[in-house]
Amino acid sequence: MKRRGRGIACMWYPVGFTVAANPSAATVKMNEDGTATLLTGTVETGQGSLTVLAQIAAEELGIATDDVHVVSADTDAMPMDTGAIASRTTYVTGNAVRLAAEKAKLILFETAAPMLGVKSEQLEARDRKIQVKGFPQRNVAISEIAHRAQVVMGQPPIGSASWNPPTVAMDPETGQGKPFSTYVYATQIAEVDVDDETGDVEVLRIVAAHDCGKPINPMLVEGQVEGGISMGIGFALQEQILFDDAGLQVNPNLTNYIMPTSLDMPEIEVDIVDSYDPTGPFGAKGVGEPTSVPTAAAILNAINDAVGVRITSLPATAEKVLAAIKAKQAQNTPRIPAR
Amino acid sequence: MPRKVRVSEKSRRTTAQAPGSGGEISRVPSVTPPVAFPIETLVPQVRLQTPAVGQRVTRPDGRSHGLGQTRYIDDLAFPGMLYAKIKRAGIAAARIRSIDTREAEAMPGVLAVLTGFEIPVNSFGPSLQDQPVLADQRVFHAGDGVAAVAALTEQIAAEAIEKIKVDYEPSPAVFDPLQALREDAPKVHAPASNIYETQVIRKGDVDAGFAKADHIFEGQYRTQMVEHVPLEPHAAIAAWDPNGRVIIHTTLGRITLGRADVARTLKLSLNRVRIVATIVGGNFGGKNEITQEPVLALLSKKTGRPVKGVFTRGDEFTASTTRHPFIMDYKTGVSKDGRIIARKVRLVADGGAYCSWSETTLGKACILSTGPYRIDNLLVEAYVVYTNKTMTGAMRGFGAPQVCFAYESQMDEIAAALDMDPLQIRLLNAFDEGAASPTGQVLHSVVLKDSLLKAAQRFGWKEPRS
Repeated sequence: MKRRGRGIACMWYPVGFTVAANPSAATVKMNEDGTATLLTGTVETGQGSLTVLAQIAAEELGIATDDVHVVSADTDAMPMDTGAIASRTTYVTGNAVRLAAEKAKLILFETAAPMLGVKSEQLEARDRKIQVKGFPQRNVAISEIAHRAQVVMGQPPIGSASWNPPTVAMDPETGQGKPFSTYVYATQIAEVDVDDETGDVEVLRIVAAHDCGKPINPMLVEGQVEGGISMGIGFALQEQILFDDAGLQVNPNLTNYIMPTSLDMPEIEVDIVDSYDPTGPFGAKGVGEPTSVPTAAAILNAINDAVGVRITSLPATAEKVLAAIKAKQAQNTPRIPAR
Repeated sequence: MPRKVRVSEKSRRTTAQAPGSGGEISRVPSVTPPVAFPIETLVPQVRLQTPAVGQRVTRPDGRSHGLGQTRYIDDLAFPGMLYAKIKRAGIAAARIRSIDTREAEAMPGVLAVLTGFEIPVNSFGPSLQDQPVLADQRVFHAGDGVAAVAALTEQIAAEAIEKIKVDYEPSPAVFDPLQALREDAPKVHAPASNIYETQVIRKGDVDAGFAKADHIFEGQYRTQMVEHVPLEPHAAIAAWDPNGRVIIHTTLGRITLGRADVARTLKLSLNRVRIVATIVGGNFGGKNEITQEPVLALLSKKTGRPVKGVFTRGDEFTASTTRHPFIMDYKTGVSKDGRIIARKVRLVADGGAYCSWSETTLGKACILSTGPYRIDNLLVEAYVVYTNKTMTGAMRGFGAPQVCFAYESQMDEIAAALDMDPLQIRLLNAFDEGAASPTGQVLHSVVLKDSLLKAAQRFGWKEPRS
């Protein structure tokens, strides 16, 4: 019989990593038509980071995402970057990109200030225009300013910057210190059906409420959460590298190493928690890794809720769950007392 | 004299016309044309909007992926390119007596064979340089590469590695991390200890905390070894330019570190190495460090040709990093109203044969292991040990999924024992803005309670259950 259960798990997760410095550098160059090119040493590994970085550069320059072309991942031509790791790209590389774009923007302001008859500090970049703060009707198109900066002033708008999260080394005796600049928080709730005759667990629904600071791109955040949950389901129920007695892997192939397919995916509902971190670019933190952190715990808690067995070693395969159910039943079966 | 080809006006028109438009039968092209797609595409409105931040902006690479036009490493080819395969040890711990490559070298189509003895600096690793590029003296786990071949085709290279004979003297091995902790266990990297990283966090007085607690909960939790399983396996192409610079197209997520590792193993200055990462088909932490890149570079140097290497799924499992299995002992002291007063955590992470990112993984696991909860008295002790198994390294979460499984499982056990709602006990103990972390860091932008309440509301946690 299928029994339904629900389980909750929350978590916290740092952005970036400990032990060593964790810097990123970036270069933003504006073309004479008001479009821009962003150079970054990070790598797109499928998560959409280059799109997020383009949005950050565009926001700072007051232009649209499509106006920014991103060039990445070549050690000959790109500024140094610690890489696409540790959920750090939006936060660390994003801060470097924002600072680089700001430097290019200041050149635009210097060009625009005499045209608008104000000081540089009174200007802002919005909607592809440079405008006077509080007087948006006094503006010049960015394309015109970028062209003028390069062709008339001889100052092509370009900026390079780097950023490294401020941390304090941990005391080796007590572990006290500030190992990370910031943390994110999340909760996932799983609803499962457990077949008490086979031990099979079906994940029906997962609700995920994640903090990522200000979401630069909510759609990509949702994508990360959905992908993270699929990995979490595999970690909870299916995946395991097995070794024989001689230390050789038994299942180094996708026939015998079982992982979730689209058919195993539950209904996923994603909420992004309202949050703003002043140390991140436009308030953003990050979301990559945390998405797969609480999933297994939530599912295992749901299994316990459904059939009253606590599996304390992952993965909770059907065999393991069934054995635990049988052991519990055996325990609860009244015995004939000894005489 | 150039040969003149006459094409009649009629036949030219026929091939140029779209089928069915003119009534004439069009010729079937001898080569299938590339997938036709409009180059002039409509840019989605959301990409043109300002301000850019906060928009649900579509990805420029999404179109390429959807049309199958994205070029991963395996889609690239250079003139004269060779294919490499790496022979795996297939034994977990051994001394290498000899490697006989003669039969493989004699095979038609084999252009070069490489062993670890030919690698200028045969060690690498992000924090400890304990990993050979190709094992030369000793084998530390069954997935170690022991020799590599470059051949005209992938099939010839695969056959050639079968003909390489390695004479092993088996050594004692250790596979269980708890056994590896013992002084009398076989040492994976003798004479060094199997325990290669230890971390401690202390806060308050954990024993005094337990003494004050109304209830003590103890439990052990274990997690398993898993693979990242990216759709695209590790793949790279190495080629040299005439000035002695090596150019490597590779599936790395960390090119700055990759360049340093390649330069170090090949004894080149950094400006003689170029790493191009193109687009990576899934990383999840598994592509944070080099694997076969120096091997391909040296095979390319030997043959004077570009050399491509693509991991099989088997290589991916046995010769790339995996997630650390953890054994976790949790002892928690709780007051009768459900507040956590003290928590002691002992962690042992199975590091496999090499350090890789174990230091970082253990560090994160330690800091996070007591959960996002206000606990005044803490003691965390953590060890990572060598075993003669596949190396473990960075994987999505760096130790966090393991400890979260433990602290959140125990949280439900505590809630059940005290007859409390699992949501309620979490809200009672959760970090607030300004809370101090286990390392004494004052936390900002803390929205844990918001996330608990938002998820509970969306789920319908408080509604009556059917």
